[in-house]
Order: sequence, then structure tokens, then C-alpha cells
Amino acid sequence: MSAITLCLIIFGVMLVLMAIRVPIAVSMFAAGTLGYLMQTGWGPYSNFLNNLAFARFASYDLSVIPLFILMGHFATQGGISKALFQFAASVMARFKGGLAMAAVLASAAFGSICGSSVATAATITGVALPEMKRHGYSGRLSTGTLAAGGTLGILIPPSVPLVIYAILTEQNIAKLFAAAMVPGIIAMLGYMVAIAIYVRVVPGQAPEVDNDIEKFSLAALSGIAPIATIFVIVFGGIYGGFFTPTEGAGVGAASTFVAALLKREITWEKFKKSFYATAESSAMIFMIFIGADVMNSSLALTQVPNQLANVVSSWGLAPLMIVSAILLFYVVLGAVMDELSMILLTIPIFFPLIMGLDFGMAKEPTAIWFGIMVLMTVGFGMLAPPVGLNVYVVNSMAKDVPISESYKGVMPFLISDTIRTILLLFFPGISLWLIQYVA
Amino acid sequence: MKILELLAKLCSILAGALLTFITLMTCYSLIGRNTNGTTIVGDFELTGVATGAAIALFMPLCQFKKANIVVDFFTAKASQATIAQLDRLGALFMAAVFALLAWRTYLGGMNAWTTQSGSMMLGFPEWIVYAAMTPPLALSAAIALTQALMGEKFTRTDEASA
Repeated sequence: MSAITLCLIIFGVMLVLMAIRVPIAVSMFAAGTLGYLMQTGWGPYSNFLNNLAFARFASYDLSVIPLFILMGHFATQGGISKALFQFAASVMARFKGGLAMAAVLASAAFGSICGSSVATAATITGVALPEMKRHGYSGRLSTGTLAAGGTLGILIPPSVPLVIYAILTEQNIAKLFAAAMVPGIIAMLGYMVAIAIYVRVVPGQAPEVDNDIEKFSLAALSGIAPIATIFVIVFGGIYGGFFTPTEGAGVGAASTFVAALLKREITWEKFKKSFYATAESSAMIFMIFIGADVMNSSLALTQVPNQLANVVSSWGLAPLMIVSAILLFYVVLGAVMDELSMILLTIPIFFPLIMGLDFGMAKEPTAIWFGIMVLMTVGFGMLAPPVGLNVYVVNSMAKDVPISESYKGVMPFLISDTIRTILLLFFPGISLWLIQYVA
Repeated sequence: MKILELLAKLCSILAGALLTFITLMTCYSLIGRNTNGTTIVGDFELTGVATGAAIALFMPLCQFKKANIVVDFFTAKASQATIAQLDRLGALFMAAVFALLAWRTYLGGMNAWTTQSGSMMLGFPEWIVYAAMTPPLALSAAIALTQALMGEKFTRTDEASA
């Protein structure tokens, strides 16, 4: 049997299992196991398994993931979001669609201490959705805005998908975070512009004026104080050279916990809830790691991923065309598959291919820029139908809004995403310029 | 089934406490390093091994809540009954993988015990981490198997007690 046939069998088994609702992590594990056994038999495979869980779970590099997740859940349970949204509302109330813009601003601020898009969407929805409803915003606009705002949780550092990309490609996490900063802010502004245009073009989605919103005052500033302080401590520490990103995540979790204690919001019940939520997201991510490990090792044994880079470069296509094709492939794949599994599964195959192409940049900037491009498609996948995870999460919290309305609501934001992604694709400098200031 | 849920929750609280301990230790170590230059030697190794145990301890609750992501695109039009049956099959797969991991991690741990392998700086014995990881992996297998055998009934007790 040729290596290509074997690869196709492995992928085929994985896709069939996924299609019949076997969890993605286990679909990859099972398909990888089959491929492994067909190539090496039981002995090498079982040796590989002996320390698979240990090697993946007890890794200092990966420990940054549960720590950032814990930090996000402390922030979610700690009652930081309510004052944050009030602050954002007091700033944005003067514009038409101001509360929707405030939801975007609050999501961006929350995203600066939370690395998960679902957690950001759920947290801000909890405080913003009732207010938007009370002020007469349509279910379509409010759920669409909140789902899109949630993606700022990963577009603005810290970002779990970016950490995973950094680990897979052995890139510097601090530099990737810096590279994501400007695109993240562009995303936030782009969403606000999308709202401004949408409320003017489509009538009846937002009130003419947002009444009875507290005017901007120094007191409202205290709403953003805890998050600003934590952000400065964590990123000041990382970029000031005082600590590594993993240590930064530890310090961030500890200081978020302290901030929640100071707000007197956190009880033993909420404390337990943050642990349970951290358990679900971390375990889910690490199971995908394990599944992707088996799958990728099995594929690597066939040597096909190695040869793929040579084959593609022999076609002599323009490098930008190849990147565009990969990104389009991600958008399509992301429509049915979860984004994290997608990264874990494809980056080991695509990354060597990208690094073999000449973009007129050195190796490191190319790797960082491609990481940002991948992150953009992940954000896109969280919103786009038929399976936009953020849209599901927000919609499940808005009982009276049909899911089709929510998908209509994210359209303006998907257009904004597309424009931004194209911009970042053709102008790598937007992502890269901040890095030069990072030691 | 109460007992499985209780154990799963206990595991995640234990893991959460471990993670919180890491964050505090990191802060302590950093304050020392950036002020009077004293630091906890090998603090990053402790972070690694403690996370290892914590992640494994998080597994049972994740399985109990069925938080592992599935693709529901292709079965969106299937009946509730079909989906319930498919989910039992999925749980069976999960059970097999968890059982396999628990078994091989146990063997890996035995090997680490005989060779007395340890971490580089501290010489922290690796078998301890394997030993902490094996029981929660086995518990996850038990939970998944129960879900596969009992199907909907198991989920219902979950909702009733939640």
C-alpha cells in the first residue's frame, strides 16, 4: 500500500468517526491508532502511549494554557464584567448604537485578560444582553454583536489559540502576543464601524438614542481599574523582562483572584464554579492535544507531510496564493470542525510548507505573520454558519431569539472580519511593527 | 451515579487547588527573584509536574459533562433517538481511549519507578506524577463507560442533581 493511500485511509476513518458524533479528540486518536498499528504494529505504538499522557500534560510549555483559562474564569466569576460594561456604556452612549459599541469595547477590555472567545462572549453577554434588550436593541443586533465581540477574547492577547500555535511552531509567545495587539485593536474598531453602518442602513435594530445611561465620569473609570491593573502587571511583566509568559499567566490568575476578593464578589460556590469551568475547557483542549498527537505521529510515519512541502513548492505557485488557499481551506474546514482541532491537526503539515516559501521576509516574521493570519480565520470560524460556536453560546443565553436571527446579526461582523483579514494578508507590517519594540 | 459525579467534582477541586498553589508559588518566586535575588530553584519544574496532575484530574468532570467537542453538522437532521444512540457510541470510544491511557500511563509509571527517573533540576520523581494521573484517567474511563451503557438515563440523573 502506498503512503498516500494510507494517509487517505487515516483521514477517511477520522472524518467518518467525526461525522457520526464521536468526539473530535477520539476520532483523531482512533484514526491515528489504526494508522500507527498498520505501519509499526503494537510494540512501538504501545511504547509511544506509555508516556504520551505524561509528556503532554506535565509540560511546562503547555501549563500556560490552564493558567490563562483559570485567570479568565476567575475574571468571569469575580464580578469584574458588570462595572466594566457600565464604564464602556458611559463612553459610547453618545453614538447611535452606543450600547452595542459598548459591548464590543467591554469584550475587547475583557479579552485583554481572558484568552478564550467563548468565555468572553458568555461573560459579556451576561451583563450586556439584558441592558441592550431593555433599551430596545433587536435580538438580531445584540446577539450578533456579543458573538462577534467574544472573538476579541482570542484576537486580543492573551489568546489560547495563539499559545497553541506558538507551541506547535516553536515561536516566541511574547512576540506573537505583541503581533496580535494591533490587529486586535483594528478588529475592535472594525466591529464598531460595522455597528455604526448597520444601525443606519437597517432600520429598527437600535433605538435613536440610548436614554438613561450614566454620563461618563471619573467614578465610572473605577469600572475598568481592576482589568487595567491586571493587564499592566501581566504584560508589563512579560515585556519588561520580569517574567516569562507562563509565569505571567500565574501572576495574572493570582491577581485576578485577588481583584475578585477585593470586589467581595467571590464566594466558595463561585470559586468552585471557576474550577469546574477550568476543568471542562482545559481537559477538552488537552484531550484534543492527545488525539492530534496520535494522529500526527501516525501521519508523520507515512512521510507524506514531509513530501507535501516539496510537491507544493515544485508547482511554482505564488507564495501569497498558497497562503490564501490555506486560509480559504481553513474557513471551509472551520465550518464543520472545531478550530482548535483544526490548528493542531493542520499546522504540523502546513507550517513547514509555509516556511519553505519566500515572502521576502526572514523566517521569524513569516512564522509570526502566518500565526496571526491563522488566528483571524479561527475568529471567523467562531462566527460563521453553520457552526459558529460563539453564536451558539450567546444565542443559548438569549431565550427569545431564534438562531437564524443571530446568524443574520453576525453578518456585518463577518464582512468586517473579511476586510481585516485581507488587509493583514497583504500588509504583514501591521502585525509586525510592534514586535520591533519587544526585546 | 451520584458517586461518579462526586468523585469527578472532587478531582477538579483538587486540580484547581493545585493550579492555585502554582500561581501563588510563581508569585512568591518572582517577588524573590526581582527583589533580593532569591528564587525557588526549579520552580518551573514544579509548575510542569503540578499541571500534569491537574490536567489529568480535570478529565473526569469534562467527560461527565460531555464537554468534549463533537461535530454535529452532519447529524443536525437526525432524530433525538438516533443522536442519543450515536452519543452512546461516542462515549464507548471515549471509555476505550481513557482505559488505554490509564493502563499505559500505569505501565509508564512503573517504568519511571524502576528507573527512578526524575526532573533535571530538582530530581523530582516522575513516578509520582504518573501515579497521580492514573486514577483520574481510570475514573474518566468508568464515567464514559457508564454513559455508554446507560445513555440518556445517566444524563437525566446528572440534570436532576445539578
